[in-house]
Amino acid sequence: MSQTSDPMHTLMTTPLYRMLHTWSFLVIFLFVSSPVLHAAESGEYIRIAKAGERRIPLALRGLDHERSKDAKYADGVDAIIRNGLEFTGMFAILGSPMNLFTDGNIFDTGSRRLNMASLGSVGAELYAGGVLERDGGDVVMHMEVYDVLSGRRLLGKSYRGDRKRLREPAHEFCADFVELLTGKPSVFRSRIAYVGLNGSEKEIFMADFDGVGAEQVTRTGGLAMTPSLSGDSSRLAYLAYIDGYPELHIMDMKRGRIVPVRKKGVKIDPAWRNGSSECATTFSFDGDQEIYLVRSDGSISRRLTRARGIDVSPSFSPDGRSMAFVSSRHGLPQIFVKDLLSGKERRLTFSGRYNTQPSWSPAGDKIAYTSMQKNGEINIFTINADGTGLRQLTYRTRHNEAPSWSPDGSMIMFSSSRNGQKKLYVMNADGRNQRSLNLPGEQMQPSWSLYK
Amino acid sequence: MKKHLLGMCVLPSVLFVAGCSCCDDAVAPQEAPAPAPAPVVEAPVAAAQIADVFYAFDSSALDPMSEAQLKENARWMMENPDATIVIEGHCDERGTNEYNIALGERRADSASNYLVNLGVEPSRIQTVSYGEERPFDPGHDEEAWAKNRRAHFVMQ
Repeated sequence: MSQTSDPMHTLMTTPLYRMLHTWSFLVIFLFVSSPVLHAAESGEYIRIAKAGERRIPLALRGLDHERSKDAKYADGVDAIIRNGLEFTGMFAILGSPMNLFTDGNIFDTGSRRLNMASLGSVGAELYAGGVLERDGGDVVMHMEVYDVLSGRRLLGKSYRGDRKRLREPAHEFCADFVELLTGKPSVFRSRIAYVGLNGSEKEIFMADFDGVGAEQVTRTGGLAMTPSLSGDSSRLAYLAYIDGYPELHIMDMKRGRIVPVRKKGVKIDPAWRNGSSECATTFSFDGDQEIYLVRSDGSISRRLTRARGIDVSPSFSPDGRSMAFVSSRHGLPQIFVKDLLSGKERRLTFSGRYNTQPSWSPAGDKIAYTSMQKNGEINIFTINADGTGLRQLTYRTRHNEAPSWSPDGSMIMFSSSRNGQKKLYVMNADGRNQRSLNLPGEQMQPSWSLYK
Repeated sequence: MKKHLLGMCVLPSVLFVAGCSCCDDAVAPQEAPAPAPAPVVEAPVAAAQIADVFYAFDSSALDPMSEAQLKENARWMMENPDATIVIEGHCDERGTNEYNIALGERRADSASNYLVNLGVEPSRIQTVSYGEERPFDPGHDEEAWAKNRRAHFVMQ
């Protein structure tokens, strides 16, 4: 069978198809009515979102519900959807205008008709809303998204979920909505791993993208650091001090099984190589600190650096062919890039005396890193992978460290001590819209990955 | 024991002699010491004191003060031949955590290598790096940072 003659082949190239493919199992269980989504329409909005250095004005209507005792569920879902869409930094959220419906039953998305003129008059370009009903222990949300200018329905889909776990259906809607606009897997399908400080102890935690539902993953009773989630969150690599000595641990997240990697000397800052089941980390058993590729069973696959001095903190390009890393081969630490096929290495950063913590963007075009400046501040910068386009993202806010890109490349998570304690923050990839996740206690070293 | 003391007296100028005497002792401990030294006649040598050594920012190089202390630490190791030690490398809070783990290891290694060159058996020394994770002084100024950039000697 020829792939090129298959009509599915064309469909597979659209982001919409990829999304539905990934979620096919949910489609079977969750769809009450069939989805109305068109790739052409999605493409139109992808252009808008890309052009957008601006937020898209969105009229977001709270879910209508016929029975008053469903109000608490509707309110719960409304808050989750609003907070979720706010988190993406993509929208300017407007209230629902007066006279929104011109016709039909307000509790039936199939019959009610939207007043596009009314939406246009408040400046909305998109409308999102729906109707909530309860079915035994479940809530069912019939959701709609409209393009106000054309009057076309971009999304019409029903979501079902346990009424005690409203985040799940609410975030499934947010994921579909945002992916319609960007064509990429959204933050709503992502998780974070990070280090939580508990007195002088550090342990690794995992949580949803927004920090909700945090769970402690390690219980070393001492030091666990530098978590790195694989691209699909199936594995977690980190450094743990066991009986006073550091070990690299590779955890299988499904089985909860840990492979400890014991070698003489340090193990530092692992990172997964995209498109493989290997991670890179620094070992010093050979006398000098060098970066090696390690298989998920803990065996060493390959040595990657051979320079005298410190070589640490690998981060791979999305195709896995290049590695950014930190080297002190010229004295103070700078970022270098190695082409793994040719073996060629080049220095990437020339501005600043102390540059560390590279993080390669999912689109492959940029590398985020931190620079310690003369005044003692640590700030986050991005630079193009070819060394041009240096851009400072944080200013005058003490220590801003450990940048990690969202899987769709739209945001960067980092830790900041701007208000005293170290906390996790997010910002848009261009540095705008910096805000705290507001988690209790202190956190650092986030690692952000897709998990579904 | 006395032999060690003697060795240590001439140590600064003849490091390798000290090293050899140490090894000989380890290989043939039953051999009776031929020379009959008279330490009472010698100028009294105070018992060596083991102590930590300190570093400059982003450096694992040993300055003269650190070298002097490491000689003292080596002497202590000779005087206490059954002792084993762990050298912990530590950094100040400046810089980033991952890089500081590497830097801390280089500090512990620089101290360890110096002792080995003075004749201490490598098997008696273990090293570990804590980077900036276990500061001695929680302060945020140069006074605190200077205390935290160290190789910390722990007797086992």
